[in-house]
Amino acid sequence: MALQILLNFFLAFVWMFMTVSFSPAGFAIGFIVGLGIITLMRRFFSYRLYTSRAWAVVKLFLLFLKELSMSSIQVLRIVIKPNMNLKPAIFELETELQEDWEITLLSALITLTPGTLVIGISNDQKKLYIHALDFEDIDDAVSSIKETFERAILEVSRP
Amino acid sequence: MRTNDVMLQTATKVVTFIILMFAVHIFFAGHYTPGGGFVGGLLTTSAIVLLMLAFDLETVKKILPINYVSMTAVGLLLALATAAASIIFDVPFFTHAYDYYDLPLFGNTSLHSALLFDVGVYLVVVGVTMTIIQTIGEDG
Repeated sequence: MALQILLNFFLAFVWMFMTVSFSPAGFAIGFIVGLGIITLMRRFFSYRLYTSRAWAVVKLFLLFLKELSMSSIQVLRIVIKPNMNLKPAIFELETELQEDWEITLLSALITLTPGTLVIGISNDQKKLYIHALDFEDIDDAVSSIKETFERAILEVSRP
Repeated sequence: MRTNDVMLQTATKVVTFIILMFAVHIFFAGHYTPGGGFVGGLLTTSAIVLLMLAFDLETVKKILPINYVSMTAVGLLLALATAAASIIFDVPFFTHAYDYYDLPLFGNTSLHSALLFDVGVYLVVVGVTMTIIQTIGEDG
């Protein structure tokens, strides 16, 4: 992926020298033309086009914003409720993620969304221990995290 | 015996992109400076031929799954449609039109309908040369 971005920058500079337009606009046009050529030759690379990965990052960010706003409202409702009959729990989440940065990102995303909090990661990095503020069903909570964040992170890290 | 082409292949991987870039530049430069659809098309073909020399026909077909015969047909249709479009506006066949537009990034640019005709030429040149090379190459 980094190689493709590097090639795209290189092509943009080649374009600037070819057209003798050393301006930001010349660079941008060269970058777009280079991106078009790289897209045309995408089967030349053994891995995905870098734009699809960049798009996956954008989608992960939008998903985070959506989850953040939705669970913030949920926590707000819990806080302003007159009676506090909460059911807090600590549960275990088995993760498929392997790289250090993937697990860190997943933990950060789980912690940043209100209502859930990562309190520990097992030594073999296969399990996350999560504290939930108010939970109804473990399977529900696990599958909702797996469906949203873990899948979106996998989409980013897939080669 | 097949020799190890690693040097040729590695160089091709970078050079192909530069040739394609130059082809695009030559294609768009055609209106004011030497260049145009014909040379642009030949340069594009030369990039694909370089790929074919460094790798083989099957690999190139996998990288660029293009039917060059229909590419030629599309190019001819596009050229004919650009020439025929002038009839709708009640001017003689092959009359071109142009105007100045303020495009983002490009600034004040003149867009000329001859560009579409050139795209047709480009597609025909690439399609025909690639068909010739592929047909000869496959028999051997």
